[in-house]
Amino acid sequence: MLKKFFSYRVASTLLVFIGLILIFAFFTPHHLFLDPRNVKALGKLIPDLGIVTLGIGMLMICGEFDLSVGAVLPLCSYVFVLLARAGMNLVLSLFIAMGVGALLGLLNGLITVKGRIPSFIATLGTMMFWRGVLYVHSRMWPIGIRAYFPAGSSFEHVLRGEIGGIIPAQVIWFVVFGLILGIVLHFHKFGNWVYATGDNKEAARAMGINTDRVKVICFMIVGILCAFVGVMQLLRIETFACTQGLGFELKAIAGSVVGGTFLMGGIGSIAGIFLGALTIQILENGLILMRVPVFGISAFIGLAIILFVVLNTYVARRMIR
Amino acid sequence: MTSSRGGKEERSLVRMVGIEKSFGKVQALKGLDFEVRPSEVVGLVGDNGAGKSTLIKVLSGYHLADKGEIYFEEKKVSITSSLDARKLGIETVYQEQALAPNMSISRNIFMGREPAKSLGFMDKKSMDRRSMEALESMGLHLRSADALIAMLSGGERQGVAIARVLHFKAKLVILDEPTIALSVKEAQQVLEFIKQLGKEGISVIFITHNLYHVFPSADRFVVLARGEKIADVEKKDTSVDELVELIIKPPSHN
Repeated sequence: MLKKFFSYRVASTLLVFIGLILIFAFFTPHHLFLDPRNVKALGKLIPDLGIVTLGIGMLMICGEFDLSVGAVLPLCSYVFVLLARAGMNLVLSLFIAMGVGALLGLLNGLITVKGRIPSFIATLGTMMFWRGVLYVHSRMWPIGIRAYFPAGSSFEHVLRGEIGGIIPAQVIWFVVFGLILGIVLHFHKFGNWVYATGDNKEAARAMGINTDRVKVICFMIVGILCAFVGVMQLLRIETFACTQGLGFELKAIAGSVVGGTFLMGGIGSIAGIFLGALTIQILENGLILMRVPVFGISAFIGLAIILFVVLNTYVARRMIR
Repeated sequence: MTSSRGGKEERSLVRMVGIEKSFGKVQALKGLDFEVRPSEVVGLVGDNGAGKSTLIKVLSGYHLADKGEIYFEEKKVSITSSLDARKLGIETVYQEQALAPNMSISRNIFMGREPAKSLGFMDKKSMDRRSMEALESMGLHLRSADALIAMLSGGERQGVAIARVLHFKAKLVILDEPTIALSVKEAQQVLEFIKQLGKEGISVIFITHNLYHVFPSADRFVVLARGEKIADVEKKDTSVDELVELIIKPPSHN
């Protein structure tokens, strides 16, 4: 029974997730962690990194990384703000921004597969390149959006409103993207190709799967998700800032890994990645509420990631015996 | 040394003529002729670097030959990708294990050609059922089509790889070192699978270093050395010792 439970690779992530919630529920001062205000704030904040992590997780399953998310995200947000400022329809602007995200993903993918270089290097390069372009072009000035379009439009409601005044729209989007990617990854042919590509690329190629195309599509999905999150975040903070998404690249990888995704590809699940993204952000939130000095938090998160991966590897090894 | 065959009904399944292939300055295949007849098991043998792997990679569409022609069922074909080869009914079980270890048996068997219900969503039930049927037909009884490949023994893994080609009604199966890295017992199991293929009317090219494995299973042997064919003999006309001799001391050409 217990063995069966652990054979689902999400099991250990789920246990850690529940454990963290219990610990923080009991030990944060005045049980602040469970305070409705905190929960609602988390609901608005977590999906930003969460949605990016979903894409990164899928990309990691097919065996690649994307370090450029922290540059693609603000760049797409910037494109959206420029279009909106020029008076373009907001929905159309969002789609164009997502198109730009897809293009940047396509570029990452093509550099990786055609240049035959590790995506770690390819996207390290594009991260620095696009961030430089963004900094120069925007002169690093923030752009307030209120001067260009009024608050309370239905467009804004869909991306940052609250359902019944309780559930933030961001949560809905996180769940929706989780479901879509989960269905694609676990039930669609394409998902099988993603796993095959990450698990044994030679075998996948020999079976006629175009592994290069699979990888490029995964890169494009990451780009599209980054663009979406860029705009969603922009509407929440009501200001474009070129520091949007800063540090997301490594946190997204950390979230995927905590969710049971294997660094070398081939292993992982959307449920795990979803939980992993929740877990590392809840860890951060809980530690802050427990008055751990903000600058010391990364030490705890680093430690937690290592411990978690050691645990996961141990469980996986025991399972195969 | 090429043996002559006079049988009238001996139409070839696949015939490769004058195949040449170079990698940079190294000429891996020097104008090689090679033929397989219907439901025949051919042992392709030779030392390392003799050109065995290159030859089958040309046939399976992994490499493109620089020169030469391929006829399949007496029709000239061009095989430029593994997909082309598979469309003809040529399936390869590669040495580097054509399986993904962390995926289930059924996901492996249908890798790249998953049966879909609609919009490309996999028909998992049918995948599982058909996988189990294919395995059963080879006498391989596994608990569940959901088991991961990593949890199987080496022999069982080869069994899954061979079940895959059986299921897709291949006409020619290429086995590249199928018994390498297997225990004696597992190797025996794989040799049984190969016999099973022959009974199903499927032609087999069996590449190996181990003559003692290939000898009882094959009908005919083709010996390569330095990218050339140095022998092509029926089993009844040769012996293990003779073949070993040929591989170790290939006759030098004039």
